Parts: sequence; C-alpha cells; structure tokens
Amino acid sequence: MKMKRILAVLLAGMMTATAFAGCGGDTSSAASDNASDASSSTELQVKDSIVDYSYFGDEDNVTLKVWAPDKAVNLVKQQVEDFKKAYSEKTFNIDVVAQGESDAATQILNDASVAADVFSFPSDQLNKLVDADVIAKVAFVDTVKDENSADTVTAGTIKDTLYAYPETNDNGYYLVYDNSVVTADDVKTLEGTLEACKKAGKKFIMDCGDGFYACTFAFTAGAKIDGLEEDGETQKFVDYDEDEAVDTLMAFAKLIKDYKGTFQSLNVKQVASGFSSGTCAAGVDGSWDTEVNKTALGDKFGAAKLPTINVNGTDKQLVSMFGYKYIGVNGSSKYPATSQILALYLSGEKCQKERAEQLGWGPSNLKVQEDSVVTESAALQAIKEQSENACVQVNISSTFWSPMGNLGNKLVADAWDASDKDATKKLLQDTISNVRDEG
Amino acid sequence: MTYVEYKQLNPFQRFAHNFKKFIVSIPNALARFFKTIGRGIVNFFKAIGKGFKNYGVTFTKGDWATKLSYLIFGIGDIHKGKYYKGILYFLSEVFYILYMVFFGWTFLSKFDTLGTVKTREVIDPGQIIARKVYGDNSMLILLYSVLSIVITVIIFAIYISNIKDAYRHQIMRANGQKPTSLKTDAKEFLDGKYHVTLLSFPVLMIGIFNVLPLIFMILIAFTSYDKTHLPPGTLFTWVGFDNFSSLFDVVNNSKKATTFLELTKWTLLWAVIATFTNYILGMVVALMINKKGIKFKGLWRTLFVIAIAVPQFVSLLLMNQMLQSNGAINVLLSHLTGSNVEIQWLNSSVFMARATVVIVNLWVGIPYTILSMSGILMNIPEDLYESARIDGASPFKTFTKITLPYMIFVTTPQLITQFVGNINNFNVIYLLTGGGPSTENFYQAGYTDILVTWLFNLTIGSQDYGLAAAIGILVFIVCATLSLIIYNNSKSMKDEEAFS
Repeated sequence: MKMKRILAVLLAGMMTATAFAGCGGDTSSAASDNASDASSSTELQVKDSIVDYSYFGDEDNVTLKVWAPDKAVNLVKQQVEDFKKAYSEKTFNIDVVAQGESDAATQILNDASVAADVFSFPSDQLNKLVDADVIAKVAFVDTVKDENSADTVTAGTIKDTLYAYPETNDNGYYLVYDNSVVTADDVKTLEGTLEACKKAGKKFIMDCGDGFYACTFAFTAGAKIDGLEEDGETQKFVDYDEDEAVDTLMAFAKLIKDYKGTFQSLNVKQVASGFSSGTCAAGVDGSWDTEVNKTALGDKFGAAKLPTINVNGTDKQLVSMFGYKYIGVNGSSKYPATSQILALYLSGEKCQKERAEQLGWGPSNLKVQEDSVVTESAALQAIKEQSENACVQVNISSTFWSPMGNLGNKLVADAWDASDKDATKKLLQDTISNVRDEG
Repeated sequence: MTYVEYKQLNPFQRFAHNFKKFIVSIPNALARFFKTIGRGIVNFFKAIGKGFKNYGVTFTKGDWATKLSYLIFGIGDIHKGKYYKGILYFLSEVFYILYMVFFGWTFLSKFDTLGTVKTREVIDPGQIIARKVYGDNSMLILLYSVLSIVITVIIFAIYISNIKDAYRHQIMRANGQKPTSLKTDAKEFLDGKYHVTLLSFPVLMIGIFNVLPLIFMILIAFTSYDKTHLPPGTLFTWVGFDNFSSLFDVVNNSKKATTFLELTKWTLLWAVIATFTNYILGMVVALMINKKGIKFKGLWRTLFVIAIAVPQFVSLLLMNQMLQSNGAINVLLSHLTGSNVEIQWLNSSVFMARATVVIVNLWVGIPYTILSMSGILMNIPEDLYESARIDGASPFKTFTKITLPYMIFVTTPQLITQFVGNINNFNVIYLLTGGGPSTENFYQAGYTDILVTWLFNLTIGSQDYGLAAAIGILVFIVCATLSLIIYNNSKSMKDEEAFS
C-alpha cells in the first residue's frame, strides 16, 4: 500500500512537470499619466557623442540591459565601460547580453517589458518595430543627421520621424572571389566571372533559394521595391518596363543554363567552405562572412561589387538588397533618457571606428567612412560601391521573402525553360502579386 | 451474405467485401459519433436544469444562515460549527472580489473590443527626453480576460458547493449530527480522498499551463491578429469566422483557399503513405529477423536500433545535406557513373521531392516499427503455430490467420498514433525539404509543406497569427475525428479480451 502511494505521488509529480512544458515568462505593462504630451523636442547640445548631464533628468542608479550580437559582445562591454567613465557622476548598472540581430525585433515584440533597453537590429525590422510601437523616437535627431550618411538616416526614418541610431552601413552582399582564378577584369561581368570559373572547373555559388539574395534577379530586372502602401504592409514597386524585365530574367536563366554545373545555387555557407576546399572560385556573400572568407582564401581574397549581365547587348549592373544596422531604444524602457544617451554614445564616431577596426563592420558615420580603416579594406570598398547599386532593406513586407526565393528557385531549376517568354512573364507577375499578397 | 457464402469467396473477394463493409459502416459510425455528442449535450443541459431546481429548492428550505450563504460564502458552515471550511469559502469570495476590482475587471471590461486606447509619448516633468506611455494591449486583454473568465467559473463552482455544503450541514444538525472536525477531514484526504490530494496540484498546473493557453490560442483564431495588427502599436479585434472563411473561399479562387485545399490533400496522402509504408516494411523486416533459422538475430536488431540512437533531427539534417545538388548522394552517383550527376532531389520536381521525403521517412521510421513488432512477434503463443502446423496449414496461411490478426489487433492504437503523428510530422518535412520545391501558386508554402509546417511559416514568417490559429483548430478537428472513428471501429476497442 505504501509503495503504491509513493508511486502515485511520483506519477502525479511527473504529470505536473509536463504541465510546464512550453511555458514562458509573464507579461505586465504599467502606465502612469501625470505627464504632458510630447509635442516638439527641443534640440540638444552634443559633443563627441557626450551630452550634458541635464538630459538625464532625475534618472540615477540606472539599470539597463543591452543586446548585442554574439561577435560584438566583448567590444560592446568595453564600450559600455567607457560610457560609464564618460558620465562618472552617475551610477549605472548595465548588462550586455548576446542576442542575434536577426530576431531582435521578434524578441522585443514577444514581450517589450522584459526585453533590452538598447538593442541593435538590421534595417528590415524597423517597420515591424514602428508598427507595433515598441521602439522610441530618436531624441538627438540633428546630431545623428549631421554625423551619419544621408542614406542611413533616410532608411531609419518612417513618416518623417527618425526611429533609430545608425550603426553600420554594410549589411549587404557583394562578389567575393579567388583572385588566382578570376581576375579583377573578369569580375566586371557575370559572363566573364562564370567563364573564368568554368575554365578552372570551379563553382560560382549564389544562394538563389533565399529571397534575400534572389531578389537581385527582380531588382536587376527593374522591379525595385519602393516602400510600403498606405496600409503599412503591402509592398510597393517602382514602375518598370515589363518586357525589359522579362528579357533580363530570361538572360539570367539562359546564363545559368549555359553554365550549368558552374553556377550553383547553394546555401551561402558553402561559399567559404568551397573556398577552403578549392572547389569554389567566386560567390555572392555578405559582410558578415568577410572574415571567414578571408581566412579561407588568404592572399587570394578578392572582393568587388556585383558584376553586370548582358541583356540584349547592353550590360546591366546587378542590383542587390542592401541594409543598415541600427541601434534602437525600447519604448518601454524604465530609463528612457539614459537609454537614449547610451544609444547615442554607442552609435557615435568613436564606437563605430572601434567596430570597424576590430570587427570589420562598415561604418555609417561620415568621418569614419573617410578613415583609412575603411578606405584600405577591399571588402568594405566593395560594399560601399555595391551600396550605390542597391535597394535599401527597409520597409520590407513580411510576405516579400518567400516569393522572391521561389523566383530564384524557378530560374535555376533544371525544369525551367529559359526561352519561354510567356512562362517567365507569368512567373514575374505571380511573384509580384504574391509579394503584394493579392489574391 | 451468410457465413457459408463468405467462406466460399477467394481472398481478393473477401478483401473487397470487408473493404466495402468498412466504407458502408462509415456513415453509421459518424451517425453514432454525433448521436453520442448529441446525447452528451442533452444530458449537460438536463444537469444544468436540475442544478437550477436544486438551487431554488435549497433556498426555500434553508434556514437563515443557509439563505445568507447565497450572498456571503461560508456563513452556513460557520453557523453550523464547521469553522475552517466556512472561513475558506469566505476567503475565496474576498479573493475573487479583490481580484476583480483591482485586476480582472480592467481587462474583462475591454473584452468586447480588445482595447481602444493607443500608445502615446509624453515628457515627464523634470525630463527632457520623452518616454512612451502604453495604452491598451489587445493580447494582454485577451490573455487576462481568459484568466478572469476561468477564475469566475471556478468561483462559481465554489459558490454552488458552498450552498450545498450549508444545506447539508443544516440537515445534519436537524438530524442531531455534529459536523466533522478539521482533523477528521484532513485524515480523510490521506485515505478516502487520497486521489484528490494527489491530483489537485497536477490538475491545477495543467489548467494554468496547458488549458489556459489553449483557450487563448483558440480565441486568437477569431481575431484579426496578424502583421497589420501588432499590439501594442496597432490593436486587433474580433472578426468572427473571417479567418476560417478565407481558408474555404474556393469560389473566389483565393490563394489561401487553394493552398489550404492542396496542402490538406497532400497532408492526408502523406500521412497514409508514411504510416503504411513504415508499418508494412517494418513488419516485413521484423518477420525476416524473427524467422526461425536466421542467425545473429541480436546483431540485426542492434544494427537497426543504432539508427534510433542517432537523434532523428540529426539524421534528417544530414539527409538534407546529402541530397543537395552537390551533396554526398550526387557525388557518389557521379563517381559510379563516371559522368557529372546533379539530380535536384528536393527542389525541382514535385513528385521527386515527395517521393524522397517518403523514402527518407522510412529510414527514420522503420527501426521503431521493427522494435515494437519484434516484441509482439515474440509474444505470440507458440502453441498456436504448433496446432496450425499439425492441422497442415501452409506458412502463408499461418501468417494471414495467426500472425497478421494478432499484430493488427495489438497495433491498431499504435497505428492511429502514428497516423496522427504523421499528419503533424513537422520534423521530417521542415528539416528535410523546408517545404520546397517552392511555388508561386501557394500562399507562404511549398509543394511538400504539410498543414503544420504551413502553420509554422504563417506564424514565424508572415505573422498571420489568426489564420494560423484557425488552421490549428482545423487540424485538430481532422485528427480527432479520424482517430475516434478508426479507434471505435477497431477490434482492439470492440473485443478487448480477444487475445488475452
């Protein structure tokens, strides 16, 4: 009898334990209303990303949480220490936690009240954050505008309000190649690059199944994105010539067919591993893999903007997706003033330079862009040149990626008929209407 | 058809006959199913009616304390000397009122609209930098409203039990009995009511962590919670059956409806094929291993079980890599044939991708079937076979007459679990193909996506939470009906004692 009871207790305990499977944190939100509505913010005096103590208001003994990507955590910790020194009159307790940038917005949206006060995120998440109203407006607008490149400021602005502090100007991909196989002259055209790869019996790798890379086809064809419609979700496209666009897509498909075996649609990770195994001679890869590719290629590392493609006799520059990274302030931060001041500091000239030197991140700060760190780096130069031929990765609808990935998949598929004009036209039309979620 | 007629049929005719019988029995089974539900509903309302009657009767028959219990919990018990219970009742009422006044009502009062006040920015006195003041948050309103409703239901149950208890004690006093003491009651919880002691905590936890979220998620299916309505910035509200109707809107040829229809077809096809290929092939391998005269049985079994030792998701991810156009399988084929083979296993042809998924699923599924089948095979009483041999039955006859019926009898519940498991087999599809080959004809899905992986894409990718919740409910309905019908028609259910 006693054994039975003990057994029963154990079983009951297990049942209880299963009940906890999949339980998350709690949520709460508080609001007090004895304050005036914010109408116009008076402009603030800032020097070297350091502001006057009066901007802290009565905030002291501040506890903040900062999210930084894994690779940058140590550097950000260091920068936070510098921040504490710069404002030695105040006491801070700042915690730097590793959090991938790609799902920073999702994490904030899950529960803003327990998320970080200051966080970095890529530009495509900005409209999500603004829609959900979880990100605070930038308090030091004029300073940010003066110090950073105009593009990064424009991309951070939604409906005339600047929402985030520009952090980098490098979130994009470019052509990385083995310069012992492909010459600097070859990489000017896609045809030349592929020919050189084919001769050497090596691969050219581009991740065509991923909408982030595959949208290059649509953009180059002329179907560039142009923000969102009034509803804040439907993707807008610029006016484009459909015949020309179809011709461009057919040119891509034909080229891929002609260089079947050389042109390979593989996961972007395969670029670096292809370089180290010597099976790949060129590929489309992004700034985040620059260090890995450099290690794999060593002296043979070459970087250039994306090549051109020949469409009916004219060379067309490949247009890519290009984004920026920002530092945002959580709207529900308990210390809004300190958070803003810290975000300003972290996005300032000194911190951007440190990141360019130690992490190879391309800066958005105008002064750092002129610095030798940037001008002497082939990869950063390639990124900068490509950024002039790119659609900005901001205001992207959440239905954008998978139809674009499908477009890429279709063009590289064996079964695709590169000379079928009607099918290409239908594919383009379907892709656009799927992105716009019509029907 | 009489028994004699049946016996004269050949096996194929018998199969056809049985199959027809099964199909014909489906409408009846469905009818029975709905009849049972109908009876359940009738009984439920009868019980409610009885409850109301008792409620009135008790009030007229009760003394002043019992009557007062209708307003203030526990008065009846305290008056009759059952102090601790009365106080507990009273405290529960106090807790409920405090909870509602200070917390619950602020959310419950907005339950009809799910919030209207938007977020704004303010500058506090003494500050230069603005901060946000959050207005309503539809999600929190929905969540805490559900919590409040559940608490209300529980308190109502306590209220009713408080009245019953008061009346019971009134009668006990009239009969000259004394209420039991706290000590006796506490002892009762270790003896006669031991099950209550054990189960109350688990049940409470399951209620909080499983049932509450479930209700919450079901309600989400009836709201406009999607990418354009993300609280706290933009609030969402009730939309009734809009999410469901967008899935069945075949008339307008809407993409969501097409996707739903096509994916449902493939999901069911996949579940049937995956379940039966694993079952039949697993059984064949198990029979081969179990055959008399096969040497090294332990070794063969171990070899297959090793496949289980590698976690399923690892095998699947490896398979995914091996099936890429430059993956191990194509490289191997290239070496074997001497020419450059680049078969696109997973992302070109629809048929190829689906066939590949089914075959890879054999790899991860068969070892489990072998394992359970071997156990069952070894358990079939040897004397059955012996007598069959004496009667001169052929090996095939023994298989169809003894082995197969026995196996099907034992494994029907397992088959159902596997079937339902395959309808929701997220791992194999998501890790192996990721839904590909992609298509422009579907909304956020590819040709090998099943309903659950589509649901995943909708929540993680395009943030159509309401739509995804609706799909979840529909998948549940399909799984539940199918399992109930099949199980209720199975031998294991009808004739539990057959093989014992």
